[in-house]
Amino acid sequence: MSPSAALANEVFRFFALLTTGLFVIGGATIAVLRFGFTKNVSQAWNSYRGWLLMAPAVGVSLLAGRVVTICFFTLIAIVAFIEYARATGLHRDFAMTFISLSGIVGIAVVAFAPDPASGTPGWCGFFMAAPVFVCVSLLLAAILRNHPEGQLKAIALSLFGFLYIGWMFGHLAFLANTRNAYGYLLYLIFAVELNDVAAFTCGKLFGRRPLCANISPSKTREGALGAVVISALFPLAVRFALPDFSALECVLAGLIVGIGGALGDLSISVIKRDIGVKDMSTLIRGHGGVLDRIDSLLYTAPLFFHFTRFTHGF
Amino acid sequence: MEDKNWRYQTANDHGLSFMERLRQCPREPDPLVYAARFTVAVATRAAMKLYNRFDIVGREQLPRDGSFVLVANHASHLDAIALLSALPLRTLHHAYPLAACDYFGANPLRLALTTIIANVMLFDRDEGGLAAIKVCQRMLDEPHNVLVIFPEGTRSMDGSIGLFRRGIGWLLAGNSYPALPCYLEGTAKSLPKSGWVIRPARVRLVIGKARSYERVEQNDAGALSVCADLRNAVLELAAATAPHTARQITKEVYL
Repeated sequence: MSPSAALANEVFRFFALLTTGLFVIGGATIAVLRFGFTKNVSQAWNSYRGWLLMAPAVGVSLLAGRVVTICFFTLIAIVAFIEYARATGLHRDFAMTFISLSGIVGIAVVAFAPDPASGTPGWCGFFMAAPVFVCVSLLLAAILRNHPEGQLKAIALSLFGFLYIGWMFGHLAFLANTRNAYGYLLYLIFAVELNDVAAFTCGKLFGRRPLCANISPSKTREGALGAVVISALFPLAVRFALPDFSALECVLAGLIVGIGGALGDLSISVIKRDIGVKDMSTLIRGHGGVLDRIDSLLYTAPLFFHFTRFTHGF
Repeated sequence: MEDKNWRYQTANDHGLSFMERLRQCPREPDPLVYAARFTVAVATRAAMKLYNRFDIVGREQLPRDGSFVLVANHASHLDAIALLSALPLRTLHHAYPLAACDYFGANPLRLALTTIIANVMLFDRDEGGLAAIKVCQRMLDEPHNVLVIFPEGTRSMDGSIGLFRRGIGWLLAGNSYPALPCYLEGTAKSLPKSGWVIRPARVRLVIGKARSYERVEQNDAGALSVCADLRNAVLELAAATAPHTARQITKEVYL
């Protein structure tokens, strides 16, 4: 990955154009609704403005190359972990938070490092074993404190946070090491966001029966089903992004996004409901926190990663 | 068996933006802010030692545990940095210099720099001060907080030690909080009130014996007597420090 390789890559160029086109269409629609029909579009505008920041950030880091991409995703994971820590109260335990954050930085380093056996970029074996080292360090910190009260809670919260927000999301950063990095990353990120939009739209249009009323009252079964169908078909429409995939594998990759995306969304909702907060933070205007934005990616990234790895290898 | 409904203690400032969070006091811990503050603290400690030949007399006076107040004369922005450098690193995130909100909270950059680097606690100079005193007392009731207070209320221009404002008196009168008088010398030469560049002047900090004012009555007269006593203590430290300054020593050598 490098700027010249990105600009020469037809997948990158396609998604860059597609995103720009969507921005133009979306902006025009909002403008027409606002000024032509004097509708209240503040919510849509806030959301649009959030995308205006996020999409170029992803695009520029992918354009800049492998190192910047891994750093970018690691930074997102760090910010998301801090949001999680602040919401759960883990942030008061500095040592545990620090160990988990070090683990996140550690897996980024491992993603940079070449595999000692094959010399290819990204030390996959160490990456997969990372949770062992974080778990051991957390327990060691608890032992060194010599003060058992409340330690299980702190260990459990930090280990889960590291696993879900650091390590599972880290699979996305690791995808930057693959041969078809642009295709995999851009397909995955775009498909996950498309899945969100599809679920929202289908839910608005056909939604009747709630999906998980106590967790997320606005989600409907019809919306989720519609999103799964659209997500399953999407890879067939952008097959050039996944060149090695057969039609069946494309549909399976789409189903991973369709089903995983909805479950990822609900997973973070379960956590938020249990804690009793609405958004994880207020960092991205119109979107809540970083963790609210990447919730579906957390769930789908490792599933997609292992799917591609087992079917085609890297 | 624990309560079935687990209670998470979400951050008190949840839902506020980063800058709004910095304005709060006491602030919730933030790993990134802690990391930045720690890095800067290690660097400034080294820089003070080498560049300003920073010298601390009476470090053994600092209480090993429990909250306490450092009371010092004020002539420079370096004063807070110097006092924080005298404290052990483990109290770094629990040491709060008090600073006026109207000056240090004036723009986001100044606010971010002072709260992240110096862990400043902002208070409103005009609000009668009672609210700020309440917050200070709450913080001193906690086990390991350090408040750094410059009771003159402003930086002295000519090196003299001005009268102490009575807020410090109201804070300490009738309470058992230990207060340590401190005398800072050389910070004004290094970074005067009108200056922008830090000069390599020698900086010396003298820490006096801890004192507390449990028996003093909680009224205006009591507060003033606390102010007078603390100011005298700082002046005594200043007088006792003078013979050790560079000029005196060179005189001895050359006579």
